[in-house]
This record gives sequence, C-alpha cells and structure tokens, in this order.
Amino acid sequence: MKMKKTDIGVVAFMYIVCAYFYSETVKLKESSQTYPKFTIILLFGLTTLYLVQMIVSARKHGIESGVQEVFKDFLPLQFFVCLAATILYLVCIYFFGFYISTVLFMVFLLLFLKVPLPYTAITVVAIIALIYFAFSRFLGVRLPAGILMKALGR
Amino acid sequence: METLSLMGAGFLNALTPINLLMMAGGVAMGIVIGCMPGLSAAMGVALMLPMTFTMKPETGLIVLGAIYCGAIFGGSISAILIHTPGTPASAATAIEGYQMTLRGQAGKALFTACYASFWGGLLSCISLYFFSPLLAKLTLKFMSAEYFWLSIFGLTIIAGVAGKSIVKGLISGAFGLLISTIGLDPITGVKRFMFGQAYFAEGINTTCALIGLFSMSQVFILAEKAIKERAKATKFSDKMSLTREERRIIRPTIFRSWIIGNLIGILPGAGASIACFLGYNTSRQFSRHREQFGQGSIEGVAGSEAANNAVTGGSLIPTLTLGIPGESVTAVLMGGLVIQGLTPGPELFGKYAPMTYTFFAGFVLVQFFMLGIGLIGCRGFAQISRLSDAILIPCVTVLCFVGSYAIHKNILDIVVMLVFGILGYLMRKLDLNTAAVVLALILGPIGEKGLRNALRTSRGSISVLFSSPVCWVLICLCILGILSPLFMARLEKKSMEDAVSGTAEDVGKLTEEDNV
Repeated sequence: MKMKKTDIGVVAFMYIVCAYFYSETVKLKESSQTYPKFTIILLFGLTTLYLVQMIVSARKHGIESGVQEVFKDFLPLQFFVCLAATILYLVCIYFFGFYISTVLFMVFLLLFLKVPLPYTAITVVAIIALIYFAFSRFLGVRLPAGILMKALGR
Repeated sequence: METLSLMGAGFLNALTPINLLMMAGGVAMGIVIGCMPGLSAAMGVALMLPMTFTMKPETGLIVLGAIYCGAIFGGSISAILIHTPGTPASAATAIEGYQMTLRGQAGKALFTACYASFWGGLLSCISLYFFSPLLAKLTLKFMSAEYFWLSIFGLTIIAGVAGKSIVKGLISGAFGLLISTIGLDPITGVKRFMFGQAYFAEGINTTCALIGLFSMSQVFILAEKAIKERAKATKFSDKMSLTREERRIIRPTIFRSWIIGNLIGILPGAGASIACFLGYNTSRQFSRHREQFGQGSIEGVAGSEAANNAVTGGSLIPTLTLGIPGESVTAVLMGGLVIQGLTPGPELFGKYAPMTYTFFAGFVLVQFFMLGIGLIGCRGFAQISRLSDAILIPCVTVLCFVGSYAIHKNILDIVVMLVFGILGYLMRKLDLNTAAVVLALILGPIGEKGLRNALRTSRGSISVLFSSPVCWVLICLCILGILSPLFMARLEKKSMEDAVSGTAEDVGKLTEEDNV
C-alpha cells in the first residue's frame, strides 16, 4: 500500500501532542510524572513505529496524496456553513438562551439544506417539544436562559 | 439458590411501570435510530446517555440496553425494504431480505427478521445469566498489577477494531490514555494539564467526549456530502407472518446463529457485523433449500438476524465482568455504567447484584418489546428510514448540545463535546479509531490506579507487573489482542465473500454502505 501524505499530518499532530504534554509533565512533582511519562512514551513509540511503516511503504510502493480519498465528495461550502452555524449556535446559547438559539439555528440550517418550509416548521416544533418535555419537564434540566435574556428579565 | 432468588427479584423490579415504559421507549428509539442509514447504534446510545443520569442505575441501563437491541434489529428494516442496511450488523440481511421484497414477500421477510432477532436476543440472555457471575468471580483474584494489564488488554482489543491499520488503532488508544491524565492526580492531587481551568479538575467529561466522538462527528460526516434522496421504502401488502412449516424450517438456523452470535459477542474485538455474515453463511451451509439462497430465503434472513442480535447479550459479558467492551456500543454502555458510579467486575454481582439482575431481567423483557413493537410498527419505521440527512443534521446537533449540557448544566461541557466532535470527525477521516479513545478515557484512570498502586507496594520495582501467573496470562492476551484484528479482518472478509458469492453486485453495494 502506498504511503499517504495525509498521514504525515497525523504523525506531526501526535508528536506535537507528545511534546506539549512532555513539557508540562516535567513541571510536575517527581511522583506525579510516572504515569503521564508512561503514556507519552507509549504514544511517542507507536507514532514512531507508524512513521517507520510509512517510510517503508513509501520506499516499496511510492507516495500518494491521500487527500482525494479523505475528502471524496466533500462539499466545502455546505460543510463549513454547517460547522460555522454550529459554533455560532453555541455562542448564541450563551447570549440568547437555549430555546431562542435552537429555533434560529434549526430554521437557518434546515432552510440552508433546502428543506421545504412546512417540513422545517414541523421539525423545529417537534424538536423543541421533545426537548421541553424530555429535558425540561421529565428530567428537570434548567436549560441556559442566556445572559441577555437574564439582563432583560431584570 | 441465592442466584435464583436474585433472578426472581430482578424480574419483579424490572416489571415496574416506569421500567416497562422505558423499555418500550428505548426499543422504539433504538429501532428508529437503527433503521436510519447514517445513524449507528453507538451514536444512538451515546446520544441518549445523558437522559439516563437522573434515572436509577438499573433503569438507565435498561434504557441503554433497549436502544442497543432496538438499533441492531432496526437496521434490518431498511435492509429489507430499501436494500440499505441501517447498521453494518444488517448487511447480510439485505442480501436475502431485499430479494424477498422484490418477490412481494416484504412482510414475510420483516416478520422473519423480527422473529429471529427476538429469539437470538432472548437466547443470548441465557449465557449472560450463566457466564457473567462466573467470570466476575475470576476477577476477585485480581490485584493492582492485574488491573493495569486488564486495562491495557481492553485497549489492545478495541484499538485494532474498525480501522485499516492496527498501529493507528493503538495510537488512538495511547492518545486517549494521554488525554485521560488531564485533571487532578488521583493519588497526589497535583494539577495536571488543566490549561489553567478549574473545570478540568475531574478530568475530561467522558460523556461529553462520547457524544462528541460518536454523535457530533457523525453530524459532520453527514454535512460534508451532498444530501441524497433516499429510495422509497417498498409498500407491502403481504401478511407479516410465517406458516408453522416455515417456523420449523428456521428453528435450527436460529439455534445455530444464536451460538455463533453469542460466541462472537463474548469474544472481544468481534461484533455484530461479523456475526451476521457468519450466521448467514452457516444457515446456507446447513440449509436443505440452498437453491433459495440469493433468491430470497427466509433461512438467510433468520440466520443473519438471529446472529447479530445474539451478539448483544454475549457482548455484555466481558463488559460487565471484566470491563472490556468488545465494540463501540458496549464501550458507550460501559461509559454509562462508570458514570453511574459503578465499576464492572465482582462488585456488580455482589454489592450491586440486585441492580445487575434487574438489568438482566430488563434485558430479557426488552426482547419481548422488540418483538411487539417491531411487528406492530414495521410499516411506520420503514417510512422513518427515509428521513433526509438535511433534517437529521440540525436535529442530532441540537440533541448533542442539550445532552452534553444536561449532565452538569455547564456550557463548557458543550464546548468539550464540540471539540471532541471536530476531533472525532478528523480522526474518522484519517482512519484513527474513536472507540479506542473513548475506551482509553474510561480505562485510563483504572489502569493508572493499578500501575501506581502496584509500583507503590513494590517500592518502585517494575517486576511487580510480571509477578503473578494472572499477569502473564493477561500479557499474552494483550499480544493476542494486538494480533486479533488481523484474524478478525480475514474472518469478516472471508465470510462476506462466501455470503455474497454468486451475487457479485451485492458485494460492492454492501461494502460501500458498510463504510457509511
């Protein structure tokens, strides 16, 4: 099997993680260093083993990008809009509270994903009802009210 | 005698109205999740985990068990009606089931799947009752060093599953172990890798990590591809039943598949996706009507479905007794157990025996609910399986958010879930194993305590880790665990090839759908 360039990223990421955790571990008390060091050595060793495997594969079979395989049929616009909406949803919850943010998030994303308006309305109502009855009423979870809503309430 | 009284008391406790209601709800939810291609059993169980926190441990576990069983069966509905297995566990069912649908026997195929799933699941409870206490007693001999090796064994088992590279699986496990060290040192109380946040004092919230790695990452997977219109589920008008003769024909098939599924379930590292093909192959080998295979055989459907549901009870045995989940669903279930403050092992069959036997009894009753709800609701579930990814993406996201918030009512939990969601997405894209990370987060603290206590008692001498025969047995099992994926991959490939030999078209389609 050919070596994939995308795996270089995996190896680099794992080495960075090892380096960060090692730099933090040496700051700990001697007695607290044992186990983290054990896990760091384990991760470092396995990553190095994988690196060796990659090099052997590259020499034997050559190198391929791997990007096409990893991101086959990838729709960047759709993906990044969904990701951004999800992150914004989190921010909105902090400011506007859970229910308002959920309605905004769902309506936006459903319409963006081209769900017809009647289905959008039904889905939003169904999810809000499910969360209200299952979490707020049945489990008694007080969902975030949002700092702006709290301020307005005062 | 004591066990019998515990079993009896377990049934009495399980039969309370709230437990029965939860069983019905859990099974229905599981079937819905299972019949939707794109959603997995592990994802469903992870998503519903926070809802079980406020419940009694036994009720919570019954709900999770019900979702698990329901999801494994639910996969067969879309496999039979739209030739798309809802979960990989139903891939073999699609071969014969869809042929029956084409012949206008969808009702019969669905009844066979439901009936065989019921018997497979029910019979698997026998081994759950019989083997679990025996295996749990074994762990009484375990000391700190053995617990350390046990946690490593658990990791080696799951690390190699599902990925293309064993080393990558092990890297995922080691990465999870490292993350599990975040928080206060369990022995000295020193702050470790907390990024200056008191929030991380108790370490990474396992439930949030679970939801992120299994559920949120799936949302991103769905979001990156074009939204496809799913095939219309075939409307069927034939009767959902089997004649007495047909039931007699599939009886030995169900029995054989039960044994296969159960063994595969007990074996850590193997799962329902292997069991369904082995069950299907065996049913064909022993069938007196081999000519019907490939044309729509009820024995084929029964063989696959009984085997994949027999895995459920079997896979709970190593999970509850040794703390070694054999696959991602049981890893999530174990997370639920640990979060409830329970540790797998002898304690579950001693101090917490009433709770454990109530769960077992609930697991038996869940099979009856699966049969009833499956038969009554098949037509409705078939329509649900068409639900578009465009609707699933925002709905699952909202459930991930509310689920992770509900645990400690802390917005930071949602942040952690989201970070793990993105991490899980990237890991899945790069063939790293998310289940291994989850398991490492659960087993990491157990292994750490074992290692450090062992080293403390031996005054730092590492020889303590190799001091007992049990340690050596576990070390050998670790080595076997590392090598087992090679064997499992061959077994799965071979049984899949055997299953679809002669129907080459199906191989491509099913493999493609399995990857989803």
